[in-house]
Amino acid sequence: MSDIILRTKNLGKHYKNRWAAQEINLEVHRGDVFGFLGPNGAGKSTTIRMILSLITPTTGTVELFGHDLFKKREAALQNVGGIVEKPDFYLYLSAYRNMQIAGSLTLGKTPDDKKINETLGIVGLAERSMDKVKTFSHGMKQRLGIAQALLCDPQLIMLDEPTNGLDPQGMKEVRELITRLTTERGITVFLSSHLLNEVEQVATRMAIINKGKMIVQGKVEDLLKANANKILFNVEPVKRSMAVLKKIKTVSEIIQTDEGIVAKIDGKEIPSVVNELVKAKCRVFSVQPKHSLEEYFLSVTDER
Amino acid sequence: MLNLIYWELFKTYAKWRTYIGFIAVGILIPVIMWIMWVEGGKFIQHQLRSLQSEFLITGNLFNGWVIAQLIMNGLWVHVPALITLVAGDQLSGEATSGTFRLTLIRPVSRTRILNAKYIATLIYTASIVISIAALSIGLGMWIFGTGDLIAFDKDGITILPESDLYIRFLFAYALAIWSMFVVASLAFFISSFVENAIGPIITTMTVIVIFLIISNLPVESVEGIKPWLFTTHMNVWQQAFRDPYDWERIRTSVLALGANSLFFWAITLFIFRRKDILS
Repeated sequence: MSDIILRTKNLGKHYKNRWAAQEINLEVHRGDVFGFLGPNGAGKSTTIRMILSLITPTTGTVELFGHDLFKKREAALQNVGGIVEKPDFYLYLSAYRNMQIAGSLTLGKTPDDKKINETLGIVGLAERSMDKVKTFSHGMKQRLGIAQALLCDPQLIMLDEPTNGLDPQGMKEVRELITRLTTERGITVFLSSHLLNEVEQVATRMAIINKGKMIVQGKVEDLLKANANKILFNVEPVKRSMAVLKKIKTVSEIIQTDEGIVAKIDGKEIPSVVNELVKAKCRVFSVQPKHSLEEYFLSVTDER
Repeated sequence: MLNLIYWELFKTYAKWRTYIGFIAVGILIPVIMWIMWVEGGKFIQHQLRSLQSEFLITGNLFNGWVIAQLIMNGLWVHVPALITLVAGDQLSGEATSGTFRLTLIRPVSRTRILNAKYIATLIYTASIVISIAALSIGLGMWIFGTGDLIAFDKDGITILPESDLYIRFLFAYALAIWSMFVVASLAFFISSFVENAIGPIITTMTVIVIFLIISNLPVESVEGIKPWLFTTHMNVWQQAFRDPYDWERIRTSVLALGANSLFFWAITLFIFRRKDILS
C-alpha cells in the first residue's frame, strides 16, 4: 500500500456563484500530523466535508487508503474516524450509547463493552459514560467526539478545529492527546485549524488554504526554513534605526511592523549589527528571531 | 442491516416526542369510552331507530366491537398528526442536531442508513395503530362486553356475527397500518429536505387535509383526479366490515397506497443520497 493514505486531486466545490474550495491537491502520508491551516471561511471545513463524503464535490477525486471515495466509499472510510466542526451527539442518550451507535455504523455490529470503556478511558470519560450527553460541558463533548473517532481503531483521524471553544487547559489536553495518538498508536492525524500556534506545536506536515485555494503544502520545518533568519528588533528611535540597518550590507528585507523592525540577518551577524545600532545611539530593547508559523502564514496569505 | 434498524428504533423510542402519540391515544380512547359509558346506548338506539320499527333486535348491540369500530372512524383524522410527529423528525431532527455529521462519515452507505430509518418509522407507525387497536378493543370488551357488530356505512347497516369479528378487525387494522404508511412516508419525504421537524408536520397535515377535501368533494370536475389521491384510498380499512368483501376495491386501494409509499420512499432516497450535509 502507498505511503500516502489520503490524496485529493483537483478537489473543488462550487456553490451558486462562488467556489468554496478549488483545486485542492492534498497528500497526507502515514504517520503524519497534518496541519490544515487557513483563516475562518477559507474552505477548510468544505474540504474536510468532501473528504468525509458529507458533501459531493463539483470537481476532483478523493483517495483514502488507495480506494476512490466515490467508487468504493465503504472501503475508503473503513479506517477513518473524524469530527467535523463541533462534535454533535444524541443528547438524550448517554455517552456510552452514543459510542455504541457510532461503533455499530463502522463495524456493522455493536462494539463490545470493553472496547468502549477503554476508548472512553483514553479521553478521560470512563466515569461519566452512563451520563446523558446533554449534561456534558463543551470540552467533554469534544473529548467524546475524539473517543468516537478513535473507537474502531482508525488509521487516520480527521479533526476539524478540535480545540474550538475549549479553555486553555482543554486545548492543551487535546494537543497532548493528538501527540499521544501519533507517537503511541501510530495514528495519522489530519488537523484542521485556524490556530497557527496549535498547528506549529503538533504538526509535522501542513497545507495552507486561503479563499478556497490551496497555497502551499509541505513539511512544517521546510516551510519555516524559507522564513528563517528573520529578526525582530525592538529599538528606538525607529527612523534612525531603520537608516542604520539599511547601511549594513549583511542586513536585507528590512520592514517596519507594529512590533518593531523585522530584517533578514544571518544569525552570526547579530552582535555586530547590534553594535552598529548602539554606536549610532539607538536604544536596543530586544532582539528576537522571527521564524514562527504565524509569520510564514501571514506572508503567504497576505493577511498583514 | 438489522443492527442499523435496531439502533434507529432505539433512538426513536428513546425520544420523549415518540411517546406523545401513545399518551394521546392512552388519554383519548378512555375518554371516548367514558363518554360512551355515560351516554349509554343512546347512539346505537338513534342509529337503529328506523330498524326497530320493522325488526326484532336482541342481544348486546352496544358492545366492545361497536365501540372499537366507532373509535376507528373517529381517530383517523388525528392519527396522521401523531405519526408525523415522529416521521417528520426522522431526517430533519438529525439535520437540526448535527448528528448527520456523526453518522454519514461512517463506512456505511446512505441508502442503508435511510432504509433503516424508514423501517424504524414504519414500525413506529404500526405500533401507534396497534396501540389504538389493543386499547380500544381490550378496554371496549372489558367495559361493554362482546356481541355482534353493527357496522354503519353510507350504504346502510351490516350486522356481522361475533365469530367473524376477530379476523375482520385484524384485517381492518392491517389495512389501517398500510394506509398510515403513506402518511409516514410523506412526512419522511418532507423531512429529507428541511432542517426542522415543524415543517414536515405542518406540510404533511396540510397535504392530507387538502387531499381529503378534494377526495370528498361531490364535484364532477375533480372526479378524474380522486383515484390518484392517496386520501381517496385511506379508508380502505372500512372494507373489512363489508359483507361480502369488495376485493376489487381492496386490491385497488392497497396497490394505490403501496405505490404512494414506494414513490415517497424512492424520491426521499434520491434526495438523501445527493444531499450535501452543510449543517
